[in-house]
Amino acid sequence: MSIIKVEKLSKTFKVKLKEKGLKGSLKSIFKPRYKTINAVKNISFEVEKGEIIAFIGPNGAGKSTTIKMLTGILYPNSGNIKVLDIDPKTERKKLAYQIGTVFGQKEQLWTHLTPYDNFKFFGAIYDIPESRVEKKIEEFKELFELEEFINTPVRNLSLGQRIRCEIVASLIHEPKVLFLDEPTIGLDPVVKENIRTLIKIMNKEYKTTIFLTSHDIGDIEKLCKRVIIINNGKIVLDDSMENLKYHYLNKKIVEAKMKEKVNLDDEDGITILKDKGYNLKIEVDITKKSVSDAIKLLNPDNIIDINISNTPLEDIISNIYKEEKK
Amino acid sequence: MRKYLFIFKSELMSTLQYVFNIAAGFIGCFILLFIFLNLWQYIYSNPSEIINGYTMNQMIWYIIITEILWGISSGKKICVKISNDIKGGNIAYNLNKPYNYILYSLFSHLGSAFVKAIIYTILGMIVGFMFLGSFPNLNILSIIAVILTSVLSTIISALLVSFIGLFSFIIEDSTPFYWLYSKLILIVGTIFPIEYFPSIIQPILKLSPVYVVCYGPAKLFVDFSLNNFITVFISQIIYIGIGFGLCTLLYKKGVKNLNVNGG
Repeated sequence: MSIIKVEKLSKTFKVKLKEKGLKGSLKSIFKPRYKTINAVKNISFEVEKGEIIAFIGPNGAGKSTTIKMLTGILYPNSGNIKVLDIDPKTERKKLAYQIGTVFGQKEQLWTHLTPYDNFKFFGAIYDIPESRVEKKIEEFKELFELEEFINTPVRNLSLGQRIRCEIVASLIHEPKVLFLDEPTIGLDPVVKENIRTLIKIMNKEYKTTIFLTSHDIGDIEKLCKRVIIINNGKIVLDDSMENLKYHYLNKKIVEAKMKEKVNLDDEDGITILKDKGYNLKIEVDITKKSVSDAIKLLNPDNIIDINISNTPLEDIISNIYKEEKK
Repeated sequence: MRKYLFIFKSELMSTLQYVFNIAAGFIGCFILLFIFLNLWQYIYSNPSEIINGYTMNQMIWYIIITEILWGISSGKKICVKISNDIKGGNIAYNLNKPYNYILYSLFSHLGSAFVKAIIYTILGMIVGFMFLGSFPNLNILSIIAVILTSVLSTIISALLVSFIGLFSFIIEDSTPFYWLYSKLILIVGTIFPIEYFPSIIQPILKLSPVYVVCYGPAKLFVDFSLNNFITVFISQIIYIGIGFGLCTLLYKKGVKNLNVNGG
């Protein structure tokens, strides 16, 4: 069952142009000029119930604009959106009760209040009865380990603790879909892991559909089974993570420590990434050459240690971004 | 309604962190009162003399009340916040919350105004009593009338400054309009009662925000009459209706054309 349906969605922005210098500044007062930017161009996709989907792309690709249209913040210029069968454009308020949003770079908590008071506030905003809010707070306190700082003013919390509270605040009304826009931005690796665990719990325990945007490949790799890549306002890839990792770029990285120096040259299917005499790193395109053939070239008797790995997801995604740019 | 009471309560709790800052803010108010006390004592050669319908004591209490009201309801914070929310795109993040942004801003303003109201009223009454040695003749009805019209005055002021803040949808920075508004209230309504202006201007002033924001409640405090109360009360209700309508209209028009920087 599709929770989110997007059909031929487009959004344009009008941006004021200014010529350089003082003359340009004066000219823009009396004769302003505008440029139209096509932020999102005719995109379509669907998201199933209970999915954790990564919606990624380079800066300015159109991902935040898309999220804002899905949540009713921005009006599209054309196309149709249905989130839980609700049109965000015409029924924004109705939709607000069904979805949660966390924008990593925007604070929604009251900084002078404690997380507890904030959760009570959000409960009231979403018209949740007081007793149910108390129950939810107790539940989340245990599940997300908030006990230690639930009565500390938000302004005194660490960034990681604050983001954790931001996510809990957006869950108080038990949304069916949660939109997370770069939830782990600026966090250290331990806290990132913590937040990812929290997102997994939400998805598993409450069957919440998660729509995630992030520049952190770790978030995508560890959380999502499906990825949509948007670039220049267009969807350039919509596939499962498995396909993306293993089929989109059929390349393996072979790192070997040798007894003796090997003189290896680039050939069809093999690219030398690093050659430090006894330490070698090569990339094997398995559509052209098998890994065993590549190892034979190195002479197996000459190998002390070997490590074969997939191309890092980060490289795969960067390549997709770059290919689109070309 | 429960959600708006929670917004009021949350802002009240936040503002309570700054009680001493608010009390310190009264110093400016005190200096102004001290200057005007001396000025009016100089103008009134005889304390029982009546100028434009006011005795010296009434005149000084008038200024104390209007200063307290302006201290409570000036609303610069709400105007700047709305203007910055629009300019910086933060207003967008309020759109997908199930509340009315205008009411959210209004109740949030009332939360902080409530703390200020208590502190400024206590300090203002102490200062007035120290300077003049007595209070005007008040009864339960007049006290209720003054409190009620003061609350409505705070609401009107919040709506008017919200409207000014919302102008940022049209022009980049609306704070110069706030400056004009605040000076209008300060000079025309706070320092001098309407009766001090030429009779040709008085009907215009009675239709202006000055009448409902500061003159009305202060006049009831120094010279209460039921007729005056009814006139002030009805005018305030009309102002609230119009103010809320204009804010809603401007807000709805603004968010429709909203562009959010950075996506």
